[in-house]
Amino acid sequence: MAQKIIRIPTLNDEPEDIQKLFKIWSQVNGYSEDVRFDFSLCRFLRPNAVAFLGGLARLIKFRDGKFVFDWHTLNSAVMNSLVQNGFASAFGPSSSTSSGHSIPYREDLNRKPNSIIGYLEDYWLGRGWVHVSPRLRDAIIGRVWEIYNNAFEHSLSKIGVFSCGQHFAMRNELILSVVDFGQGIPAKVRAFLKSDPRASQLTAASCLRWAFQRGNTTKQDEPGGLGLDLLKEFIRINHGKLEVYSNQGYAIVGSEGERYENRDIDFEGTLIHITLRCDENLYRFADEL
Amino acid sequence: MKLVIKDLIGPRCIIKEDGQKVFDAIHDLLKNGENVILDFSEVTQFASPFFNFAIGQLLKDVDEAVLRRLLHCEKLNETGKLVVERVIENAAKYHGNKDYRKIVDDILEQQAKEAS
Repeated sequence: MAQKIIRIPTLNDEPEDIQKLFKIWSQVNGYSEDVRFDFSLCRFLRPNAVAFLGGLARLIKFRDGKFVFDWHTLNSAVMNSLVQNGFASAFGPSSSTSSGHSIPYREDLNRKPNSIIGYLEDYWLGRGWVHVSPRLRDAIIGRVWEIYNNAFEHSLSKIGVFSCGQHFAMRNELILSVVDFGQGIPAKVRAFLKSDPRASQLTAASCLRWAFQRGNTTKQDEPGGLGLDLLKEFIRINHGKLEVYSNQGYAIVGSEGERYENRDIDFEGTLIHITLRCDENLYRFADEL
Repeated sequence: MKLVIKDLIGPRCIIKEDGQKVFDAIHDLLKNGENVILDFSEVTQFASPFFNFAIGQLLKDVDEAVLRRLLHCEKLNETGKLVVERVIENAAKYHGNKDYRKIVDDILEQQAKEAS
């Protein structure tokens, strides 16, 4: 098979940037692909793109393909950011990392609670960017753990879960992106309801809306359906932002409410992007309202 | 009976396997009408998978009123209390039979509203 050259554009955090990522996924979503990622058009990569490209590379490899990141095409700013967040050492030319304002790129093939919680405590919240009380820190970590737990419990991703984050000092925001390459939430909801032939008519947005409601779960023999709701509530109260891209669906939750949409580009998996503010004085707990 | 959670599973109540350990330790006692105290001293992190298994499962064969009378959570912080309450509220829904047709009806109804 001829080698495909995939040109990685500049990728920000907006929905159109995520659509570009999913288009890249669709171009290499086969078996025995031979892919060269060229970065000559890329001026910067946000953490969601870093987590996604890392996972995509592992997916290509898992499917008996080959990939090359063409490091020579990276400009120095992008290269520096990939060294800082550890992506460069995970895939190639650099053996060192220097953290800067990056929250490291991370791969988890299996659910390892202590290791993931340690990452969130030490590298995400524990860097002094967010001045949080121990109680708030633990509350945030408990909610974010629900994302990882869902990814491992529901997604059936064969290559695991990929994360990366960043602190934006100017915007006073802390972000974290978590992506899996499993079946996706809408596909899981439709499969759960497949005894009713109308399940195939359910749109991705409708499935996401259902999955985000308290108590709704696709689990058959155990209780569930609270993780997304607890996270959603925390984000809403505290004026953060939660965005979920899964199959053709998009969900956004913020202080102004929640919205569910259908998108043109499909992705077999789920990408979750959380934005938190870095000012503890703005935080509230549900029991304090 | 008093169960010190940190001694049994450590300071994090976040995964279902640890919830199952707690369930296994208290299920028969509660079924026999005994009082159980769960001591959450020095436990600081909570997530729903743990409580779904530790407490949500109990409601399969222990009535909610009986559970609330016999099971006491001590030194559980507000974050943990919120999750416990949600799990108990949610358990009744889980233990009912799932009506798939009704779920699809509801989703399609919402979908039609959005399309109009």
